[in-house]
Amino acid sequence: MAKVTISDLYKSYGSVEVLKGINLHIEDGGFLVLVGPSGCGKSTLLNTIAGLEEITSGDIEIGKNSVAGLHPSKRNIAMVFQSYALYPNMTVSQNIGFGMEMKGIDKNEREISINKVAETLQISELLNRKPGQLSGGQRQRVAMGRAIVREPEVFLFDEPLSNLDAKLRIDMRTEIKRLHQRLGSTIIYVTHDQVEAMTLATKIAVLKDGCIQQFDTPYEIYNNPSNMFVANFMGAPAMNLIEGIVVMKNKDIEFEMKNNKGDVISLPIDGVKGLENYINKTVIFGIRPESINDLELSGKKSNKKLVEKAVEIDVVEPAGSDTYAIVEFGGKQVVTRLNGNSVVAAGEKVKLTFNLSQAVFFDIDTEERIR
Amino acid sequence: MKNYLQLLLPRIVLAPSFFLILVFVYGFIIYTGYLSLTDSRMLPTYEFMGWGNYTKLFGLRHWKIAVNNLAIFAILYILFCTVIGLLLAILLDQKIRAEGFLRPIFLYPMALSFIVTGTAWKWFLDPGIGLEHIMHQWGWESFEFGWIKDRTFAIYTVVIAAVWQSSGFVMAMFLAGLRGIDGEIMKAAQIDGASGFRIYRRIIIPMLRPAFLSAFVILAHLSIKAYDLVIALTNGGPGRATEVPATFMYSYTFSRNQMGVGATSAIIMLLMIFSIIIPYLYSELRSEKQS
Amino acid sequence: MSKNSITSHIKLSRIFIYIVLIIFAIYYLLPLYVMLVNSLKPLEEIRGGGMLYLPSVWTLDPWRAAWSSAQIGVDPSGLRPYFWNSISMVVPAVLLSTVLGSLNGYVLTKWQFKGHGVVFGLLLLSCFIPFQIVLIPMAKLLGVFGLAGTTSGLVLVHLVYGVGFTTLFFRNYYAAFPTEIIKAAQIDGAGFFRIFWRVLLPSSGPIIVVSVIWQFTNIWNDFLFGASFADFDSTPITVALNNLVNSSTGVKEYNVHFAGAILAALPTLVVYIVSGRYFVRGLMAGAVKG
Repeated sequence: MAKVTISDLYKSYGSVEVLKGINLHIEDGGFLVLVGPSGCGKSTLLNTIAGLEEITSGDIEIGKNSVAGLHPSKRNIAMVFQSYALYPNMTVSQNIGFGMEMKGIDKNEREISINKVAETLQISELLNRKPGQLSGGQRQRVAMGRAIVREPEVFLFDEPLSNLDAKLRIDMRTEIKRLHQRLGSTIIYVTHDQVEAMTLATKIAVLKDGCIQQFDTPYEIYNNPSNMFVANFMGAPAMNLIEGIVVMKNKDIEFEMKNNKGDVISLPIDGVKGLENYINKTVIFGIRPESINDLELSGKKSNKKLVEKAVEIDVVEPAGSDTYAIVEFGGKQVVTRLNGNSVVAAGEKVKLTFNLSQAVFFDIDTEERIR
Repeated sequence: MKNYLQLLLPRIVLAPSFFLILVFVYGFIIYTGYLSLTDSRMLPTYEFMGWGNYTKLFGLRHWKIAVNNLAIFAILYILFCTVIGLLLAILLDQKIRAEGFLRPIFLYPMALSFIVTGTAWKWFLDPGIGLEHIMHQWGWESFEFGWIKDRTFAIYTVVIAAVWQSSGFVMAMFLAGLRGIDGEIMKAAQIDGASGFRIYRRIIIPMLRPAFLSAFVILAHLSIKAYDLVIALTNGGPGRATEVPATFMYSYTFSRNQMGVGATSAIIMLLMIFSIIIPYLYSELRSEKQS
Repeated sequence: MSKNSITSHIKLSRIFIYIVLIIFAIYYLLPLYVMLVNSLKPLEEIRGGGMLYLPSVWTLDPWRAAWSSAQIGVDPSGLRPYFWNSISMVVPAVLLSTVLGSLNGYVLTKWQFKGHGVVFGLLLLSCFIPFQIVLIPMAKLLGVFGLAGTTSGLVLVHLVYGVGFTTLFFRNYYAAFPTEIIKAAQIDGAGFFRIFWRVLLPSSGPIIVVSVIWQFTNIWNDFLFGASFADFDSTPITVALNNLVNSSTGVKEYNVHFAGAILAALPTLVVYIVSGRYFVRGLMAGAVKG
């Protein structure tokens, strides 16, 4: 296993720049997830790491070696594809062994490796079947087997779970995590599903339009987003973003919002230094649904960061362990996460507790985080 | 009442076509089959004669030549069309910029009547004014290409013209097949270290099996039916050298007044085609039902 | 900068690919070129040889002759009457077989009844029969109905042997249409024909094109039926061309033959050039599953 370093990588298709100055580093044994909306360049980036596409400038290092310009089969990588890309006319055993066959490894050695991998993935009974006879989950495991047997320095996954149904997706996700823990492999993983990103990664790179928006641990990405795009993209339901003005009231900084009726609501803000530069300016206030609860949970009324406010409930969505209540607040539809046992109804006016310790603020023009 | 009509309507709509087919195809097949068992000469007679025509047919020298020619023609036609079609499809699939320009050029012969094709190639292959003559004019005096007038080689000229006509179509079939292959498989093969040639041989060409099968069935069926091309190119000649079952049937029925024998030859042609088509259609329809 | 030891190797093989493709393009274009070029030369020039050279004297006389004055059979009528014979035969045959095929395809996919598989199987099989097998009885039947030697007779013949193909095209195309659309239309109160007319037909553009082109090409290019069942009033242009080319006694006017061949091929070539792209696309999109 090896570390991977990407330096100043640029890629253009003709005159269109699709990757703009990518800088990433993943340590040996790390799990890097590239996440972003369609067209952000994450798959293209993965393809350049694999060597399936050329780069315009910059460098890629796998282990100690720069691999730019090397043929994919010489980069010591293995790749698992969205559609598994199994060779349809070969058996599972031949599929797994094909790479070794191309290297000229003799049959007996191949058999040993294939059997070992098949046992690890529990697909030994499938060795003589053809891909067409397998289920989606089985094909996925064969694809992983083909990758594992190469003993690469880096595993590359290109949206491997997108073609599976919901339940299978969760099962396979756990398998991949288990694989990572057992083999200690370095993995670079592409997905558009931010839940996958959060659960699997040791480091996440959020991409948009070919640029990295933030490169950090999942915790930081979630709690300290560096711009509005990251804040909105990661986390489900999405972070609530509300527009308002920063005002100074008796040496205290407050954030003022207008609700639908025109009344002014204000929240006390403390400890966000950057807001001092934004007095009387409009900013965006971000707060996650789980930071807005009902009274039942907030026994710590003494905490200055907890503020109670009255809101009117619009829609109630019971989700079993939680209940999501969409309320009108600050002129916007705000999603709040209440205890699953809460008894609330649409149209009710209730008091909810806002935990402002996790609140974040963004500049309305640059969409950058105000720290 | 309305419901009853809705139930009946589908059958009513299909009825005309079905009836036409029943009579004009299957009815006629039975009729011709019956004729093959009679001693019809210039006009049909209906006295049952037994298998006499069949034994007579298999003893006729003309028939043996016709079947032999068909074998040579069919094998070479299918072989060359498949190889050329596959080659052109693979080449065109390499992201050639001129594909939009080249593909119609390869395909247009398919739009021509076999008569037109035969006419064009007839002059081109004529030693007096065609290729041989051109070569002589260019200084290559010893060049010989009189195949079309040669008893042994004339059938190969039919192959040349037929391949010219149909290979573009086969190319289109393979091209469609190639385009249907998941691009990710190519990527996986590259990572596995397979070179271009090996990717084609081990992975892509085996995946084209349905296209191969379709091409084979269509070409085989066309070669058994081949009539127009032979008439236009060589008219069965020189002498009988390019006789094929299709021309045999026509001449024995209408020129030589041996309708019974002609009918017999038609039945044999039918059996040849059916032996290929029926298993193919059956397996296609069955696999369709399964999926 | 990325090292590209692969690129020069790639460039070389690309040149090779282009060379091979061009050689084949020449192979396919040569006969057409030869016909075209020599159809514009006066006869003396043709006899002098030089099939590949451009005309030194350009003339449209062969074309005029082929069209209106060449000797075909007994009449020096040129190909013109036969051209119109072909048109009056092809147009109705194409229309009828397409209409029937579309209705058949509709029924076979959206209104399936017991035995529909057999009906389709028989229709499908009818595409593959050697026409020689029906020549004798067809000649008899046409005589009985008084259609022998008429254009209507030929239209009937081509309709019968074409409806199998058109049914196949439409059936495969409509099979991909979700049945839910039909059910939704039924809930909306539409009946059998209304559904066809308002729901399926408007979206049938591509397959109609395929069917029309296929039928037009096959029927226009047919020779066997034309040679067997037509007389002067209905002989199609393919048969006339063959007569022109093969039965000329005395001086062989090659230039006229070539002009005639191109005239005979023109309609299908034009159809192909104009819409060939859609045809191939439709064909390969599953109109013919083998």
